[in-house]
Amino acid sequence: MVELKNVSVTYESTGVEALSDVSLKVEDGEFAFVIGRSGSGKSTLIKLLMKELDANKGEVYVNGYDLIKLKKRKVPEFRRTIGVVFQDYRLIENMTVYENIAFVLRVIDAPRKQIRKRVPYVMSLVGLQDKADCYPSELSGGEQQRCALARALVNDPALLIADEPTGNVDPELAYELVELLQGINACGTTILMVTHAHEMVRHFGGRIINISEGEVVFDEVIGGAEVEAQ
Amino acid sequence: MKLSSFRYLVGQGFDNVWKNRVMAFASFCVLLVSLLLVGISVLFYVNINAIIGGIEDKNEVIIYLLDDTSDERIGEIGETLKAMNNVSSVTLYTREEAFADLKANMSDYTEVFDSLGDDNPLPDAFRIRVADISRMSETLKATEQIAGVDYVSSPDSFVELLTETRRIITIVASAIIIALLIVSMVIISNTTRASVFSRRREISIMQSVGATKGFIRFPFFIEGMITGFLAGCFATLLTWFSYDSLVNLLGRFDVLSTIGFGNVIPYSKIGTFVTLAYVIAGSLIGAIGSVLSTRVHLKYRAANM
Repeated sequence: MVELKNVSVTYESTGVEALSDVSLKVEDGEFAFVIGRSGSGKSTLIKLLMKELDANKGEVYVNGYDLIKLKKRKVPEFRRTIGVVFQDYRLIENMTVYENIAFVLRVIDAPRKQIRKRVPYVMSLVGLQDKADCYPSELSGGEQQRCALARALVNDPALLIADEPTGNVDPELAYELVELLQGINACGTTILMVTHAHEMVRHFGGRIINISEGEVVFDEVIGGAEVEAQ
Repeated sequence: MKLSSFRYLVGQGFDNVWKNRVMAFASFCVLLVSLLLVGISVLFYVNINAIIGGIEDKNEVIIYLLDDTSDERIGEIGETLKAMNNVSSVTLYTREEAFADLKANMSDYTEVFDSLGDDNPLPDAFRIRVADISRMSETLKATEQIAGVDYVSSPDSFVELLTETRRIITIVASAIIIALLIVSMVIISNTTRASVFSRRREISIMQSVGATKGFIRFPFFIEGMITGFLAGCFATLLTWFSYDSLVNLLGRFDVLSTIGFGNVIPYSKIGTFVTLAYVIAGSLIGAIGSVLSTRVHLKYRAANM
């Protein structure tokens, strides 16, 4: 579960208020699109939810952790409860697909038996079972994104945050990726997908959170045509 | 941490040396040059010290006794000299021995000595060696105070020259070694920092999936240690080869033995020490340098998040 109560974030270096008095709640098992223009505050929201930056005001709760009061040494433990997919994939270049995915389980000290069982399963889930020994540079953009998705899923996180996951893949693959995320959501994982692909959001519909100039200007569950009206 | 994780991280450290071979090679070269600079400076200083020490050991002080000193008193003076803390050896040089040596050394003047008959003009004396020549003057003053001592003959000016030379060499060598250590540490620190910086993306990914600082740092520690260890081994081989070659080359010049070159320490005597010093220093500097650079990077990232 994700909950923000009257959250404001101002960057000290520039004095820009990236988020202003934002309140929102995403329940367990929900799938929500977060949309908004560049510079609207979407990336700040992601950083906030990953505890990469702190709010100047308000309360932030993710997966039962109070991120405002969370001590630094507890941050790695918290991050293990979330999976994150980035637009630029962020795969470790000198690790194979298998190693990139297994790395998350090694971080949590998972038994080798579990790693050997879980990693091939997640790779097959995203259709990368034949690419285990490939390095990221040997994969296409879509395959890299699926590898990043597999890495985000491998430790069965309660919350999956996808930051513009379709930004670097062609439209067909983008739709496939969202369908994949919907399948994962159907298994109970909460998904927060940040995107500016309005066309795609119109196609899938669902809960849409629109952020503009650091404020939530729209937050409803609606169908495709209604989104465009906003 | 589980044993399997420990093994994984150690393995990662080894893998990373190869995977990041360009930066690892840069660190290796910097460490190697630093170790060689400091190591060769230390060896040079140690050998100069040994050469001067050898010359010092040959220094002898002769304490001449009064003509009418009794055998009993000579014995007492000998005991007093032996009891002095800066005197390393005491040998009685009787007037008979001195006269015989004089005759042997001045065989061209046999007629003069024959004219003296049994009349021996030389006094009894003690030959002593001092342990620390920098304290020679105070030792000499103490021996002059002993009853029955006529006068003391010593190579004062030569001793002063040696003492001053050693003092200057110690100061200059220490300054050079300290300067080289500082320069080496700065270069090593910058190289490891560059190595860590080139992998900042990898580190940020590790952090985003929940890796602890220890988990991130440990492979860097192993990687740095391996690089340092290899640099230490290579420095040992280079030093061994060049040291032995130089000693053999200079040993061919007889003239050098007159200035104490014979006191140069053979590599076989210091080989174990040099190897251990290089390998331990290389491994430690490599490991600590890597960990500190990673630590600084992680702190910087935490502060700028």
